[in-house]
Amino acid sequence: MRCPSCDAENVPGAALCEDCGLDLAGLDTPEADDGFTGRLTRDRVRDLRIVPPLTVTADASVREAIELLRRERHGCVLVEDEERLAGIFTERDVLTRVVRRGLDPDAVTMREVMTPDPYVLQAGDPPAFAIHKMVVGGLRHLPVVEGEKILGFISVRNVLRYVRDDVLAEPTGSTRGERPRPPSRAA
Amino acid sequence: MASGIEEILRGVRIADVKPESASPVSPSTTLGEVYRLLDEGSRGAVVVCEGDRIVGIFTERDVLYRTSLEGIDLDTPISELMTRDPESVPVTTRLADAVRAMTEGGFRHLPLDDGDGCCAGILTSRDVLRFLADHFSEAVLNLPPRLHQRMRRPEGG
Repeated sequence: MRCPSCDAENVPGAALCEDCGLDLAGLDTPEADDGFTGRLTRDRVRDLRIVPPLTVTADASVREAIELLRRERHGCVLVEDEERLAGIFTERDVLTRVVRRGLDPDAVTMREVMTPDPYVLQAGDPPAFAIHKMVVGGLRHLPVVEGEKILGFISVRNVLRYVRDDVLAEPTGSTRGERPRPPSRAA
Repeated sequence: MASGIEEILRGVRIADVKPESASPVSPSTTLGEVYRLLDEGSRGAVVVCEGDRIVGIFTERDVLYRTSLEGIDLDTPISELMTRDPESVPVTTRLADAVRAMTEGGFRHLPLDDGDGCCAGILTSRDVLRFLADHFSEAVLNLPPRLHQRMRRPEGG
């Protein structure tokens, strides 16, 4: 029986996951909830669209990171140190840690403004984890790793798309096809 | 138990999830003041109103794309930098349609109107996630201790 939290294999009928301590009682009972609750725990983060990351080193300048964000239109860069995730720097950090503090983007490095050692998702985590971390932690971007390998990140947008694509395929009213596409804007 | 998210999101209207009031600013508000509101108010967007009418929005993403890092005059009125006439939806809109509008437009912030173009709040992607977390708390909130892990550091690694 595979632990829904950490993917560790446990003996069938185990009460607690040997690896992470998750209560496994009842999990091997066939036919759990087949609605959205079930999907939130049975799907995997790797099933969402994981965005390939923009990466910089901790020595990269703030300007370098910001130019990368602008060019690729991403909301975050991941800071890599010898192929390990060392930190994350998001578009909100541009405002709160650079612009508001009046820092010189050429003189300041990622090391000084990134969030070090950020929360991560494992690719095998269920989407429920992502929602939990985003709501409780107030995080908009979460790096996704497999073991130590950096796969990318998911954002609030990815989670909303997961909700929309998989369960909101049909419009609720008669507006399908009539609603003008919203103008493109940065949001 | 109704576990289909489809019916749930269709049965709920934006007003039911109690979105935050927009605390709109006027078009003459300076960029510096808007920065302060975004930062200290922990907000991701500021709605700009003329009287009660929504005329613009300025988001934290706009800080990245619409301002240069140096030489930007913090006294610039926000009306010169905001997105004009942003799409808004009535607060009576079903949450399912709001989610659709947000995903199609790529918006994390959706200004709300009273059906007559007057500002009635703002719906954020976080409001939607919070609703999901509350509604599916069985799945989302009953999570194991390992949830708070950070990057794994194997011993000796």
